[in-house]
Amino acid sequence: MEMMLELLPSEYESQEINRLTLAYFVVCGLDILGALDRIDKDQVARWVLSFYSRSGTVEPGNCQFYGFHGSRTSQYPLDKQDLSFNASHLASTYCALAILKIIGYDFSNLDSNSISLSMKNLQQPDGSFIPIHFGAERDLRFVYCAAAISSMLNDWCGMDKEKATDYIIKCQSYDGGFGLVPGSESHGGATYCAVAALQLMGYIKANYISRSTGSSVVNVAALLEWALQRQAADGGFQGRPNKASDTCYAFWVVGVLRILGADQFLDKDALRSFLLSCQSEYGGFTKFPGSPPPDLYHSYYGLAAFSLLGEPGLAQLQVELGITALSGALT
Amino acid sequence: MSSDEEEWVPFSRRPGWRDVTPVPQDDGPNPVVPIAYREEFREIMDYFRALYFADERSRRSLELTAEAIDKNPGNYTVWHFRRRVIDALNADLCGELDFVSLISLKNSKNYQLWHHRRWVAEKLGPDSANKELEFTKMILARDAKHYHAWSHRQWVLQSLGGWEDELDYCAQLLDDDIFNNSAWNQRYFVISKSPLLGGVQAMRDSEVGYAIEAIAANPENESPWRYLRGLFKGHADLLIEDGRVSEACLKVLKTSNQRVFALSLLLDLLCHGLQPREELREVVQRLSSEMELPVETMDPMRSSYWAWRKSNLLPLPEAS
Repeated sequence: MEMMLELLPSEYESQEINRLTLAYFVVCGLDILGALDRIDKDQVARWVLSFYSRSGTVEPGNCQFYGFHGSRTSQYPLDKQDLSFNASHLASTYCALAILKIIGYDFSNLDSNSISLSMKNLQQPDGSFIPIHFGAERDLRFVYCAAAISSMLNDWCGMDKEKATDYIIKCQSYDGGFGLVPGSESHGGATYCAVAALQLMGYIKANYISRSTGSSVVNVAALLEWALQRQAADGGFQGRPNKASDTCYAFWVVGVLRILGADQFLDKDALRSFLLSCQSEYGGFTKFPGSPPPDLYHSYYGLAAFSLLGEPGLAQLQVELGITALSGALT
Repeated sequence: MSSDEEEWVPFSRRPGWRDVTPVPQDDGPNPVVPIAYREEFREIMDYFRALYFADERSRRSLELTAEAIDKNPGNYTVWHFRRRVIDALNADLCGELDFVSLISLKNSKNYQLWHHRRWVAEKLGPDSANKELEFTKMILARDAKHYHAWSHRQWVLQSLGGWEDELDYCAQLLDDDIFNNSAWNQRYFVISKSPLLGGVQAMRDSEVGYAIEAIAANPENESPWRYLRGLFKGHADLLIEDGRVSEACLKVLKTSNQRVFALSLLLDLLCHGLQPREELREVVQRLSSEMELPVETMDPMRSSYWAWRKSNLLPLPEAS
């Protein structure tokens, strides 16, 4: 993780647009490892804040989102008056806020109101969110980002929760899992976004399983079985039925089970074995056993999965926010 | 567009670019996770910044965005600028679809590419439906579970049309690979959304038969089991009424050693009030008996889950 913090290899060029996301993986990864002392928190805070677009007034006719950019390649000088250069992005904003939370930045220094109110501009009539004001794909990932941002800012004026929930409900597939958009095949990552967002918005009570089977906005029984069936014979988790296991789904799907209070039902030893077989000699994790080389994305999610498994020496995660439990408490 | 075979010529040496001053990236004093950019990447992005700041919507901007996209296909700012340039030049949209096809050869698992494709197709309207269905078919021929391709295909059907052959297409893919969950999902999508078929209600009867056939061939295949259950979504009453469902469960429980999904569906039926017939009743008694715990041994990875489900079962009605 420290190696990645210093310099990413050239192969990551094509990931430049997601610099802030890469930083999130590294910082959160170090936090899980209890190694946050290896970074200069002030430096990181300054760098993250340099991606903030600016505060703005939300008024009719101005559909800007005043959040964080993901990269210098989408960020243009503030003296540019043409607002169409504002490419601040919902996912980057989530990553920025998560990093700031982790390093203990004082959120009262942020113009939360501007971020939240302008975020409403990104919500679509069907409840979904686009990530960027000039238009892009819309799907569950950004509903999740909006919910996580609202939760971290402790300000829900940026989203219509009911509409967002309506959209999530439409994404539940006939088999109990959730697709990224209504009609899509159920998928581990999409299911995490759906369930975590519902949890953050208060539509799923934590530890659903230990309570009596009350009603819920989504079909939890089917969801539960779908999620549990994602653990394959090799112990790893797959993202969709009849597909190969992949390290990252250990986080996405086990995260879902954790939120439902059902992670007691998975085979922890088998998962642990699988994850260990994906660990590379350089310390990162690969997508599946034997697939070189390790990458930052799978390394972070492998680590996060170990945290969910209660691996000694790793910090606990506040799974629905994707940050450690301790940093989540520092509001 | 630069290719690996030709030697890339830096912009600084290209005629027609002399008037452009490249804008270097300002990473700030202490950047986190800096990337070791190669020279080509750096220069292309420096020139991109120059044209983007100037908001120059020209032919050479179109060329530049093509190169920038090739290096950095996830960069939504570049794609967005390209769209502005296309609009300004009133550029050939069919040619644009070809451009996207070319980019997809290198890496098609990229949201921006598909969003751009959708934007172009939307502008072209229903006439582009066939081309889009062909394009996604081509991608799916290489990877029959390609998530983006399936999403795009669903969008095309709903927005531009072309439903006529879709059920056949699903059947063909399932012939190729009955385990292809994406194809099962698409099948469900077609029967529920196609304006030509009448919805799940109208299709349920024949689809139950289709699913059961697939189950009989491969009881360990999760997809047809979920599909079968999904056909009765919101209609548990019809689920327990359709004798074929409980029959299918019984058959698998008796004759196969791949029994997990049959069991799961059976538990589901019982929870919804199924009154099991004689033969099924015996099976159920065996399963719930304390002496034998076949559920847990059938699927040891999830043994605690099955134990929990069993404990949540309503008591069986008295034998009449």
